[in-house]
Amino acid sequence: MSTHHHHHEDFLFKYIFSTDHKMISKQFLITGFTMGFIGLVMSTLFRLQLGWPGESFEMVELLMGSWQENGIMAPDKYLALVTMHGTIMVFFLLTAGLSGTFSNLLIPLQIGARDMASGFLNMLSYWFFFLSSVLMLISLFVEGGAASAGWTIYPPLSALPQAIPGSGAGMTLWLFSMAIFIVSSLLGSLNYIVTIFNMRTKGMSMTRLPLTIWAFLFTAIIGVLSFPVLLSAALLLVMDRMFGTSFYLSDIYIGGQVLDHAGGSPILFEHLFWFLGHPEVYIVLLPALGITSEIISTMARKPIFGYRAMIGSMMAIGFLSFIVWGHHMFVTGMNPFLGAVFTFTTLLIAIPSAVKVFNYITTLWKGNIVYSPATLFSVGLVSTFITGGVTGLVLGNSALDINVHDTYFVVGHFHIVMGLSAIFGMFAGVYHWFPKLFGRMMNNKLGNLHFWTTIASAYGVFFPMHFLGLAGVPRRYYTNSEFPLFDNMVDINEFVSTFAVIALVAQLIFMFNFIYSAFRGPRAPQNPWKGTTLEWTTPVEHIHGNWYGEIPAVYRWPYDYSKVDENGEFLYGDDYIMQTTPMGENENDGGH
Amino acid sequence: MTSIAMENMDYKQEVKNKTSKPLLWIGIVSIVMFFGGLTSAVIVSQGGGGFINIALPDAFLVSTIVIVLSSIAFHLGLLATKKGKQQQAKMAVLATMVLGLTFVFTQYLGWSDLVARGYYLSGTSQESSYLYLLTILHVLHLIGGLVSLSIVLVKTFKKRYTPQNYLGVEVSITYWHFLGGLWIYLFFFLMYITA
Ligand code: HEM
Ligand SMILES: [Cu+2]
Repeated sequence: MSTHHHHHEDFLFKYIFSTDHKMISKQFLITGFTMGFIGLVMSTLFRLQLGWPGESFEMVELLMGSWQENGIMAPDKYLALVTMHGTIMVFFLLTAGLSGTFSNLLIPLQIGARDMASGFLNMLSYWFFFLSSVLMLISLFVEGGAASAGWTIYPPLSALPQAIPGSGAGMTLWLFSMAIFIVSSLLGSLNYIVTIFNMRTKGMSMTRLPLTIWAFLFTAIIGVLSFPVLLSAALLLVMDRMFGTSFYLSDIYIGGQVLDHAGGSPILFEHLFWFLGHPEVYIVLLPALGITSEIISTMARKPIFGYRAMIGSMMAIGFLSFIVWGHHMFVTGMNPFLGAVFTFTTLLIAIPSAVKVFNYITTLWKGNIVYSPATLFSVGLVSTFITGGVTGLVLGNSALDINVHDTYFVVGHFHIVMGLSAIFGMFAGVYHWFPKLFGRMMNNKLGNLHFWTTIASAYGVFFPMHFLGLAGVPRRYYTNSEFPLFDNMVDINEFVSTFAVIALVAQLIFMFNFIYSAFRGPRAPQNPWKGTTLEWTTPVEHIHGNWYGEIPAVYRWPYDYSKVDENGEFLYGDDYIMQTTPMGENENDGGH
Repeated sequence: MTSIAMENMDYKQEVKNKTSKPLLWIGIVSIVMFFGGLTSAVIVSQGGGGFINIALPDAFLVSTIVIVLSSIAFHLGLLATKKGKQQQAKMAVLATMVLGLTFVFTQYLGWSDLVARGYYLSGTSQESSYLYLLTILHVLHLIGGLVSLSIVLVKTFKKRYTPQNYLGVEVSITYWHFLGGLWIYLFFFLMYITA
């Protein structure tokens, strides 16, 4: 009896209320992917409506019930789904899911620490995330449906419970869920920063940190500086909704009645929101950039090109991300001079971004590239980062943006540069560190298939959207078929939606590979990719505390790949040197 | 999962020593950004006109004095703990507690004053709403400070701190000084926007 009880407790603390960073990492991953899959299905459903407006999809009715009566999606449900899709993808999958998984897994393992600074706060961070995920999903089922004001929840739609169906209980739950989410994110970031600064092993100076860690550090710093501002924006919104204040509301008419508010301005909300909103896109992107830097160097068997430039450009991007938010507000009646300032700061971001792209390509150049799904997805990120970055130059320019603001051009741009880049980075990370997460290997063939189908369908979905946008098709519209102007866009819409369905199917390949390999995949060897970093020195089986005995000390930077002596022979007889290998006598440490 | 060094108490203490203060500092940074966001919001709203220049309640001036005194008292408490003068430490921490509670009370007086003059949290005057909101949010953060202060108080009375071990006091006092600084910032900010 007592042993049984003991087992029960073990289970509870090992899998549920774990304070071990590796378990918490898996919790974030699985919750994040689950949310992401839901968000993906949502997008496919509303793409069906956009591709074949008014057509009846009776199969979908089985899934959606009254949301899809007679197989046709209801207009208000369309808006709810778009809003939930955006919210889930940006925050739940690519903020919590991405940072939560990889910061948790890799920070202690790669810097040589037994765990996070505070395991308890770390556990709280996950459980707040879980709670906020549940609340967000529950909001789909309340009266009036989920929040429908778009993921940016601009007032007055979000401030007036009576505005549209989703403005009621759905919006309230959205706000509560996000408040809890922000707390979760802050607790996580606190821990990541402090762990990186204070818990590195002997010899692990800042310039010997893998770029993953630098990326997670900047991400966490940006989070700590920007999420509180979103919280303040949300708080004022809650006040307007519940306590009759007038921060965002004024005496506008709604349903023929003038509101009992005065003097407030929705523009205030936009400022506060985008002060978080733009840094948020880098919270989503930087971890992916860090992950791919590491993978590209390892898989090209070459030192990363421009290590310090990579750090410097991430720092520059992080800094600039705080002074560009106005580029989302060019059409709010902003003073053109101010618009020019925001244009200038925005275009500046192109410089560090180009530095990164250059360094990726130079690292790959003449590398002895090992093709794994992780390599492919990393190179895929380089591709989407370029494609999406180029249209960023268009949107960052106020004179051009005014023409395409709130059209599908924007949808195409941000999906490619942020959505695809980040999700590719995340996939790359999962394929690469799966052996560290689950002690087993994923199947490469299925992984390659997953990559090629995904990148083809992703471009198939998002590239044509630019043309829709240039033709003036607005975003967040339930249908385009009502407007003769867009009649000749029907084919493009069908094309996009067809690829959206293929994209969904492609993810099933991944899902199968992931679940199957977690249980049945071949056992992982100690160092499957011949990496140099500390995580490959820990036992394959997870142990609490990460290393038996002492934590290893570090003697060199993490990118000693293909290092040769004066005769052109590999040093130490192989094309990689672990960070734990002491410097040889005549070896040049390259300033690290 | 086997357990190794992790369960070792020395290890846990070492991690705590290294990380408690940095954790707090970064938490403080996020609180600063939170209030930074809100006070910027005030300035944006003010740009819309419609501020009516509500005179700040006198009680808020008293709050300012009280919170400065409380920080001084706490500081004396820390010095006493460091020197091992436990009796003095007890008195100082107790005084901090009393002053902290007095601060909350003077805030309450301030709000009552506003209500008496017909200014409410809700309603169409953003200026009045902000006055309440910023002060209430500060008090909410201060309640966190009071909780940590009570832990310090109990531990001081139980003589848990020694000249070698007073990390808890240091963490608590850092946050407390921050709350004082935050209040002084808010006080001058509110004076400025209501002037
Ligand atoms: C194959 C997968 C995806 C498809 C087919 C898809 C499709 C779409 C479409 C068509 C819209 C615009 C709907 C409208 O404006 O009426 C949209 C909105 C959006 N999507 Fe996706 N998306 C996908 C994945 C992602 C990912 C990975 C992200 C992560 C960043 C993302 C983030 C967003 C956001 C933020 C919005 C804006 C929502 C709003 O307007 O409030 N999506 N998606
Ligand atoms: Cu932006």
